[in-house]
Amino acid sequence: MSSLDTNETLRDLHSAATSHRGDRVFNRVITGAAFTSLIVLAGIAIFLGLQAIPAFQSQGLAFLTTTAWDINTDPPTAGIWGMLYGSVLLAVIALVIAVPASILLSVFMVFLAPPKIAKILTNLVDLMAAIPSVILGLWAFYILNPPAEEWQQLLNQYLGWIPIFENASGNFLGTPFIAGFVLAIMMIPIVTSVTREVLGRTPPELINAAESLGCSLWTMLRYVALPYGRGGIVGGVMLGLGRALGETIAVFFVLKLVYDTNWYKVIESGGGSVATLIVSRFGEVTGPFELQLLLAAGFFLFLGTLVVNMIANLIVSRTGRLQK
Amino acid sequence: MTILFSEQTSEESAAQKPLHPWRKKPRKFTISVALAVVLPFLVVLALLLYSNIPGALVMVIVYLPLQLLAAGITAVYNRGVRSIGDSMIVVLAIGATVFSLVILMSVLLSLVVRGIGALSAHFLYQNSVYINPSTPLEYGGIGHAMVGTFLILLIASIIAVPIGIATAVYITDVRGRAVPYVRFFVQAMSGVPSVVAGLFILTIAVSTGAFNQSAFAGGLAYAILMLPTVARTAEEVLKLVPDDLRTGALALGSTRARVVLQVVIPAARTGIITAILLGIARVIGETAPLLLAAGNNDGTVLNPFDQAVASIPVYIFNNVALPYPDAVTRAWGSALALMILVAVLFTLARVLGRGRVGKY
Repeated sequence: MSSLDTNETLRDLHSAATSHRGDRVFNRVITGAAFTSLIVLAGIAIFLGLQAIPAFQSQGLAFLTTTAWDINTDPPTAGIWGMLYGSVLLAVIALVIAVPASILLSVFMVFLAPPKIAKILTNLVDLMAAIPSVILGLWAFYILNPPAEEWQQLLNQYLGWIPIFENASGNFLGTPFIAGFVLAIMMIPIVTSVTREVLGRTPPELINAAESLGCSLWTMLRYVALPYGRGGIVGGVMLGLGRALGETIAVFFVLKLVYDTNWYKVIESGGGSVATLIVSRFGEVTGPFELQLLLAAGFFLFLGTLVVNMIANLIVSRTGRLQK
Repeated sequence: MTILFSEQTSEESAAQKPLHPWRKKPRKFTISVALAVVLPFLVVLALLLYSNIPGALVMVIVYLPLQLLAAGITAVYNRGVRSIGDSMIVVLAIGATVFSLVILMSVLLSLVVRGIGALSAHFLYQNSVYINPSTPLEYGGIGHAMVGTFLILLIASIIAVPIGIATAVYITDVRGRAVPYVRFFVQAMSGVPSVVAGLFILTIAVSTGAFNQSAFAGGLAYAILMLPTVARTAEEVLKLVPDDLRTGALALGSTRARVVLQVVIPAARTGIITAILLGIARVIGETAPLLLAAGNNDGTVLNPFDQAVASIPVYIFNNVALPYPDAVTRAWGSALALMILVAVLFTLARVLGRGRVGKY
C-alpha cells in the first residue's frame, strides 16, 4: 500500500504538522495513553510485589519450595510449591492433548477441507474461543465429569501398572487429567487459530514444488509446511500455555485442590493450581496476613505467565518478520 | 484424491486440475475406499448397539485404530507402502476435527437443553433479594446480575476504549520512537491472567482505601483485560485507512489532531466499533476478577461506587455446585443467557468487520 516514498512524504508532512502547538499537546496526550499498558504492568508488578515482601519475610524461601497452607497455627506456615508444580502439570497435560489436536485440526482446515467448509470451521473455532471459562467449568462439572470418571477407571483398570495411571484412593473425580482436559479445550482454539494462519502462509510455490517432486501430503507437511511454520506454531502453543497457566474458574470446578504435591498421578484425585488457590482461598480468607499470602501467590503467577507470554510473542513476531 | 491441492492454490487449481486427465480412478480404488469407510463404521455401530462399552471409549479405542488400519491397508493396496503416512494424516486430521466439533456441540447443546427451562421473562428482569437456593424457578432471576454486568462493562469501556484507541493511534499515526515497545507491552498485557487483574485492583483498593468492592472496581479490572484487545484490533483497523486520506487532509492544512479525530477515526468507525465489541466479548464472561473486585449482591445495585454488585458470571459461579436442582438450573439458564450475549456480540463484530473500512 504505502511505498517508501509516501512514507517519507508522510514523515515530512508530520514533522511540519507537529510544529503546531495543538498538535504537540495532542501528541503528548496520545503518547501518554500509549504507555498505559506499561504503567499497568509495572503497577501490577510493584503492588503485588510489595505484598509479597511480608509473605517472604515470614516464610522465607520456603514459600516457594514447600507445600502447606496452615494459617491458623502459630507461627502460620504457607508454601505454594505444590500449586506451582500443579499449574505446570495441568499445563503439560493440556499441551499433550491440545497440541496434536490443534495441529491436525489446522492441517484439515488448510490442506484438506474444501474452502467453504474451512470457512465454517474457522468461525466455529472462533466461537469455541469465545466460550467463557465459567460456562466451560459448568459444562465440565455436569457433562464431562461422569464419562471422564468412567474413562479414568478403565485406564486405571487396564493400564494401572504404568506409574502415571496409579490411583490408590478409588476416587476418580477432581483429577489433574480432567482439569488438564478442560484446559486443553480452552487451548485448542488459541493454538489452532495461530497454526492455521501460519500453515496457510506456506508459499504455494513450495507446496507445488514439493508435490511435483512426488511428495505426498504427509511428506509435504513433514518436510515443507511444518518446518516452515515451526516458529509460529511454537509461539501459538506458548500463547495457549500462558492462558492455561492463568486459568482459574474452569479449573476451580473440576480440580480437587490439595495442599500436597501430586507429582505424576494424573488420574488420582487432587492436584494444585496457583490461580485456583487464590480464588478458592479468597472466599474464606481469615485475615490480612492470608490475603497477603494470596497476593504473593498472585505475584508469582503474574511473573510466570508474563515470561511465558513474552517469549511467545517474541517467537511469533520474529517468524512473522522472517516470512515477510 | 484432491488433497494434493491446498487451499492456497485454489485460484490456480482450475489450471492445475487437468494435470492427469488420463488417470481415471479405477473401480478397485473406489470400491476399496468405500470398504475402508464403511467396514469400521459397521463394526463400531454393532459394538455401540450390542455391547455396553461406553460410546466415547468405543470411538477412541476401537473406531480410531480400526479406521487407521483400514485407511492404511487401502493406501498400500492402491498406491504402495509410501502412501501410508498420507492416509494416517487424513484419518487423524478428520478425527481431530470431529473431536473439537463434538466438544463444541456438547457445550452448546447442553446449555440449550439444560438452560432453556430456567429462561422466562421474569428470570431476565427480577432480582434475587428474597431468593434462596431452594426457591422454585417461578421466582427470582438474574435482572440484578444483568444490570451489574452492564454497569461494569460500561465503566470498563469508558476507561479502556479511549486508551485503547489512543494506543492504536500512537502506533499508526503518531509513529513515535517507542512504537515497537508499545506494541510489545500491549501484547504482554494481553497475557495478564484475569485473576491477577482482579488481585491488582483489590490491592489498590485495600492499600489506598479509596474504594472497596464495587462496580467501579470490577470495571477497572475488566478494563485491564479489555485494553489489549481494543488496542490491537483498533491498530489493525486504523492501518487499513488509506494513507491518501491522511496526506490529503494534511495537504489541505489541517493539524495532525484534526487528521486523526476528523478523518482517520471517522473513516474507520465501523472497525472501531468492531474493536469495542470484541473487547467487550473478551471480558464479558470473566469471573475471577469480579469475584475479587466486584463481589456479589442479591439485590439490584445502581450506585457504581458504594456497594458490592452482582454480575452474570459470578451468579453462575455461585449457583453451579449447589445441591439444589433449581439453583443448578438457574446456573444453566444464566449461562445460556451469557452465551447468547457473547454470540450476539461476536456476530455483530463479524458483520461490522466485514463492512467497508477506510472508505466513506
